[in-house]
Amino acid sequence: MREMLGHTPGRIYLLVLLLSIVLMAVAVFMGATDAPAEGEAILVFGWMTMPLVIGVLFVIVWLIAYLIYFIKYWPYR
Amino acid sequence: MVDLIVLGAFSLIIVAMAAYGYRISAKTAEDYMLGGRTIGLVVMFFFVLFAISSSWTFYGFPGHLYLHGPGYVFFIWGSVAGFAILYMFLGPRLWALAKINRFLSPVEALAERYQSKALRVILAVTMLAFIIPYVGVQPLGVGRGFEALTGMPLWVGATYTAVLLVILVILGGMRIVAWVNIFLGTVYVTALLGSLFWVIAVVFPDGGVVQAAQQILASEPAKLSTPGPQGTYTSVLVIGTFVVGLLAFSWPHVVIGAMTARDKTLFKWFPLLIFVFGGLFFYIIPFVWGSIVAPAALPGVTDPAEADRIVQTVIQTFLPRWFGVFVLMGVIAAAVSTAAVQLMTSSIIVARDVIQGVFKPDASDQDITLWARLSVIAIVVLSLSVTVVVSLGLGDEAMALYLTDVSVPGFAQWAPALVGGLLWKRGTRQGAIAGTLAGVIWLVLGLLVTNEAGARILLLDLHPVILTLPLNAIVYVVVSLLTERPSDEIEDVFFTEVDDFLRSER
Repeated sequence: MREMLGHTPGRIYLLVLLLSIVLMAVAVFMGATDAPAEGEAILVFGWMTMPLVIGVLFVIVWLIAYLIYFIKYWPYR
Repeated sequence: MVDLIVLGAFSLIIVAMAAYGYRISAKTAEDYMLGGRTIGLVVMFFFVLFAISSSWTFYGFPGHLYLHGPGYVFFIWGSVAGFAILYMFLGPRLWALAKINRFLSPVEALAERYQSKALRVILAVTMLAFIIPYVGVQPLGVGRGFEALTGMPLWVGATYTAVLLVILVILGGMRIVAWVNIFLGTVYVTALLGSLFWVIAVVFPDGGVVQAAQQILASEPAKLSTPGPQGTYTSVLVIGTFVVGLLAFSWPHVVIGAMTARDKTLFKWFPLLIFVFGGLFFYIIPFVWGSIVAPAALPGVTDPAEADRIVQTVIQTFLPRWFGVFVLMGVIAAAVSTAAVQLMTSSIIVARDVIQGVFKPDASDQDITLWARLSVIAIVVLSLSVTVVVSLGLGDEAMALYLTDVSVPGFAQWAPALVGGLLWKRGTRQGAIAGTLAGVIWLVLGLLVTNEAGARILLLDLHPVILTLPLNAIVYVVVSLLTERPSDEIEDVFFTEVDDFLRSER
């Protein structure tokens, strides 16, 4: 982590990871995982509940950020 | 009878691998404890993934989802990020530091970083106190599986697992524990995924998981969203559960895995496997089991212990009996793969940090290897007390909550000293000792002191990590800033040399 803080791509990478956590928390607090008031639970593709969907999106964001940073910019390559 | 023959053959494969490992091992402490620091990417992946994917992923996790809806899955999202954090941020430095200085345990590395024998004892005792009961949860899980499938008492399955563990760890050491995890992991994934597909085909032939989800939507819609049918997973608890999952970077049996790596390129590629195979594939299997398939196939279970067994009950209800034996083999695989790594970690801490670090500083390589092997037996006997307690009806906390409410908060108490020791030059011995002690004492008292209603009053009835970890971290930082900064020599050895090594090593 020290090496990441030492250059711009590393700082951007850490910022993206942090932002994804903040956005996930905001989504949860805004009720994205709850059933809509007077409505049914949201099921993506007919079976994926929102806690699953949000988590999968979160992992995909981390995966993409990781691939870009570790393949192009990681100082210990 | 056929059950016993199959399980006997399964055990023989594990014992044979352990014996082979004993034959080829270099008979040094480094080889026994860290696999000679030669673990490559693929072996490391199976080693770590199935070190963390215990029988909890078969019993506790789906059982909790079954009762409380999908909110608990945020523990998994946090854990995936936590393991990635360990291997992206901390792993390379810990690996380099241990390799340069021949450290055999992460506790030893921190004790040297902070120049403190007292801290070594505090961290060793804390890690052992929280890891040994968790080792005991694994034989308990298998005991429940045996009980449900064969009707045999709980202790039979638990003892079977314990014996298997002792043989594997004593003979094989870390390298074979890692290799065996490939075999065990393959068995487990096949059993868990195979049973899921088969049950879906049998019970929901017209629409698969969509049909199952629609059935729940019609009967118990609260099980498909937060806060769940009992209103448990509020937004605050969901995020709290995620944060508890993030602390996976501090699980000692996962941290030690980073020290066994062959080279630094492992840290470049390892997170890819965590995200793709772990986050987007493996952990989704028990999630679908616990939150969609089991509630639709067998609704109405309300008892936590029965919910813990729900996946197995569904399998036994809808699939042929012979497949139940295969699934039990998968559960044993999951339990053994985790408990073996935890046992290795515990025995290393006992031998290297307690016995050599405190009582016998002049112990030879052979001595500490012998002590590590002997401590395996002692730890297994101690950990079986968990099964005894449950068998006697003295306690039966649902498995899911044992991991997240007791073990994880305990493991987390070395996180400030660990992160600070590796990343913050200003962290001092006094800060590490004061912070760790403050967190551990509050945690232990908080877990023990309850009111008549069972609420943990010293923890304000919040999750055990919410108050104790911030206190630990704040005390660590404040005391470090108020005390004399570590010497230049410490900075050279633990920061400059590590940086140079990582930048130059091919």
